[in-house]
Amino acid sequence: MKKKNLSIERRNSRNGFLFVLPWLLGVVMFFLVPLVQSVVFSFSKVTPTTSGFDMSFVGLENYKYALYESPEYVNHFLECLSDFGYKIPIILILSLILAVMLNGKFKGRTFFRSLFFVPVIIAGSVVMTIIDAGASVEELGEVAQSAYLDGLINFEKLFTQLGLPAEATTLIFGYVDQIFDLVWQCGVQTVLFISGLQAIPEQLYEVSKVEGATKWEEFWYITVPMLGHTIVLVLVFTIIEFCVRADNPVIEQAYSLLIGNQVYGKSTAMLWIFFVVIAAITGAIFLVFKKLCLDRWS
Amino acid sequence: MKKTEKTPISTYQLKLKTTAIAGSLVRYLFLCAVGYVIFLQLFYVISYSFRSVADVSDPSVVWIPKHFTLDAFKVAWEALEYPVHLWNTISVQVFSGLLEVAACALPAYGFARFKFKGKNLLFVIVLLMILIPPQMIAVSMSLNYAHFDFLGILGLIGKITGTDIRPNLMDTGFVFWLPSLFGVGLRAGLFIFIYRQFFNGMPKELEEAAAIDGANALQTFVRVVVPSSGVAVLTVAIFSMVWHWNEYYQSILFFTDNFPLAVSLKGLFTAIGNVIGRGTVEGTITYQMACAALFIAPVLLMYVILQRKFIASIDRVGIVG
Repeated sequence: MKKKNLSIERRNSRNGFLFVLPWLLGVVMFFLVPLVQSVVFSFSKVTPTTSGFDMSFVGLENYKYALYESPEYVNHFLECLSDFGYKIPIILILSLILAVMLNGKFKGRTFFRSLFFVPVIIAGSVVMTIIDAGASVEELGEVAQSAYLDGLINFEKLFTQLGLPAEATTLIFGYVDQIFDLVWQCGVQTVLFISGLQAIPEQLYEVSKVEGATKWEEFWYITVPMLGHTIVLVLVFTIIEFCVRADNPVIEQAYSLLIGNQVYGKSTAMLWIFFVVIAAITGAIFLVFKKLCLDRWS
Repeated sequence: MKKTEKTPISTYQLKLKTTAIAGSLVRYLFLCAVGYVIFLQLFYVISYSFRSVADVSDPSVVWIPKHFTLDAFKVAWEALEYPVHLWNTISVQVFSGLLEVAACALPAYGFARFKFKGKNLLFVIVLLMILIPPQMIAVSMSLNYAHFDFLGILGLIGKITGTDIRPNLMDTGFVFWLPSLFGVGLRAGLFIFIYRQFFNGMPKELEEAAAIDGANALQTFVRVVVPSSGVAVLTVAIFSMVWHWNEYYQSILFFTDNFPLAVSLKGLFTAIGNVIGRGTVEGTITYQMACAALFIAPVLLMYVILQRKFIASIDRVGIVG
């Protein structure tokens, strides 16, 4: 009986809240609380006990450790950033081109699409690091293989030991490995772009055809502006993907403190510095992109 | 008269045709080149995992092994402890992947179709879930799971009765099942986002008809909305499966013994060494590739079965836009 007294709007609002409620409980338990905890951890010394854990506030000590005392942290960090710097634009452009190529109607479309989506199911996982490392070790022969067995793969060091100049080896490895690596990282991005391309109304292209626009003009004046929000999504996705990839050196280092050693404070501090800087960069890129492109396009 | 009329049209058509041919030529060249890179890598894994140790150091063997052998697979099978960890992956990761497919649809439907207080604020949380890397959460959860407290209730009961009843969930499947069940599991933010986009684009008429027929919101959702969202469900399901299958950074914190395959891959080098003995250095690459092949095979199989539908769904689901 009480149900009938509720106005449609009230009922609508209540129903909506009920749909979200279980998720909201989960968010509190498995997202917000642990998130706040990890912020607190980064300012404390955490020691696990039999009934939970003890914490004592240490201020900025963990952050100081990460930035000044840990010798590799800053290097790993810079390595990551320079990686981001050139890989992300290439991935964005490559996956956009791929999506445009795969989107139209042509013979063998299904075949090419099913081949190009294979990276979606594999890329970014641990198995890629094995395949990649295997691919490079093959050319090196037995010397490298024995080093390889130990799981300590540092080819650049190895090459320098073999007497090659360091710059040359970095260059060679840079280019050969990157092509494979980058193509394999475009999977999900291509999927997202194709999905975005599908959302562009067909009429726009028909109009431009009547007006006599070339394909090139179509691409720049219709496709790219209409994809504005997709580009943002793909950009964010790519950055996150880079953060959680199985071979990220910063995370590897933070984890090496955690696993076995149970050093929670310092490792969370390392993760937070990394994440905050990445988030700030992402935010800055977004703002610039919005000002230069999104606002003008709409 | 006729001739002068016809010539301009035919040159125009000719021009159109040449650009079309040039366009498709560029397309095929580009697609073949990139496709080659992808294919090569896959073929490389397969080719190496069937090789004998002698074939690796034999320069005359380029792609097709001279001696087909399953030896590498036997070693890989043992090194990975394949049956055990495959089962862990399926029971923990695949199962929670499926849970997530169902659990993320509920809040997404709430966000797409209803107006309620604080909706925008809550959606910001969804965006934060997309943005914040799971490692941030995993570190503190690894402590919390050791003495798992359900919203503080278990701890309170423990304090009253004097006995600690908070269970230790570490190294059990619950560490993945529970978040997935509540729709906050691995990349749940992105899945809620995808679902919401899809529901937003769905016509409202069917739901209105169901409401007029007297169905309540949940009935409408289960009987009308879910059956017509096959495309979105499939897209989310494939992503969810694949990302769970490959998940590594959380598993390595939460599991000590019952870990999934992705974790056993990381310790591969020592594991292979233990199986074949330290002395045999040559040919380890075939073992590694066999391990990689064993790891990929199940997802690849799933992909091959579902790929047609998946490809079709990408066109229709409207993840963005």
